Amino acid sequence: MARAVDPAPVTVRLAHTPDGTSANTPIVAVVGAGVTGSRVAGNLASLASIRVAVVDTREDIAETVARSIDGIAIDLDHAQVADVVVLALPAPHAALARRFITNGVAVVSMSDDVDDVEELLQLHELAVHHGVPLVVGAAMAPGLSGLLTRLLAGQLGTVDEIHIAMHGTAGPSCARQHHRALGGTSVGLHDGEWIRRPAGAGRELCWFPEPVNSYDCYRAEVPEPILLHRVFPAVTRMSARMSGTRRDRFTARLPMLSPPHREGGIGGIRVELRGALASGERETLVAGTSVRSGVAASAVAATMARWILGGATAAPTEGISSGVIVLGDERLPTADLLEQIRGCGVPLSEFTGVSRPAEP
Amino acid sequence: MKMIRRAILALSAAAAVAGVLRLRGQGGVPPQTGGWRELSTRPR
Repeated sequence: MARAVDPAPVTVRLAHTPDGTSANTPIVAVVGAGVTGSRVAGNLASLASIRVAVVDTREDIAETVARSIDGIAIDLDHAQVADVVVLALPAPHAALARRFITNGVAVVSMSDDVDDVEELLQLHELAVHHGVPLVVGAAMAPGLSGLLTRLLAGQLGTVDEIHIAMHGTAGPSCARQHHRALGGTSVGLHDGEWIRRPAGAGRELCWFPEPVNSYDCYRAEVPEPILLHRVFPAVTRMSARMSGTRRDRFTARLPMLSPPHREGGIGGIRVELRGALASGERETLVAGTSVRSGVAASAVAATMARWILGGATAAPTEGISSGVIVLGDERLPTADLLEQIRGCGVPLSEFTGVSRPAEP
Repeated sequence: MKMIRRAILALSAAAAVAGVLRLRGQGGVPPQTGGWRELSTRPR
């Protein structure tokens, strides 16, 4: 991977290289050492084939996380020497991503902000020009939801509708984003037309895998339909919902009344596809997961970073080694990636019952 | 007395209609089996 780098910081980095690695061992810089970023670093550091650097505006936090994973804490400028950068800080990511791409560094963004994601998608040409991949929306939702959608879509002849529901938050920044999402304007696709509806409306009772079970979910300002439309352009109906309580909806347009928890509880996602089998029979498929949102999001981001480096079961697929990559792209090794994510402690489930007979 | 007869007639009619619907209708049975199981990533 051709990169324009200043060699000076490399010397600093090598001085902290854990035993057993060499100067050729790829480096992943994780920018943001919060609940999710620290887990991304931990997932990556468990692999002897990767060196991990941690970047955070709070130097003490970065040092603590780096020490716990036998990595190093660096500043943002030194992150330019990494092979892959995982952006795990609060949105926006677009400006940072542009900066890294221009320096020839591959980027994995965990952003779930609609405006930010739209800006990231516009960096496709730049990423192609510099020959680096830019993974957009590598978290729980978006991210894992896209992979599950692609897996289920493989069982259908045609997919007409995709409906995503999510529950829970990771760290405080994620909780703030959740708060904003219920007070914004949702984006959806209805019969091929983009629709914008006030978030916090459109209640639907959604069932997640145990132990989350059922929650009322509402339209939310999340980038899911935008990203999924990019990889499922023929699907005519898409929606994304988020769980919320009465208080969440009532206060969504106000500043957060109380500071968010350090980390949310067990979260979940639910992916529902409606379409037809090859025989023409109508079918509804449902899959999901219930796990701490930070665990799932970090597993996805770490897996995509590994995939870029060729460390996952399948190396980057020919034709998508540069430019914007959205999870759910049919050229990605979806099954392999899902198994990698499962291996990071994310249980993946499918629903049987109405849509599919139980195992005999 | 007349009102009681009308009430009994109305209830009888309602019971008859309900009975017919009960016997003839297929009804919708909520799922009694199934649930979440581990997702298989193998092609089907």
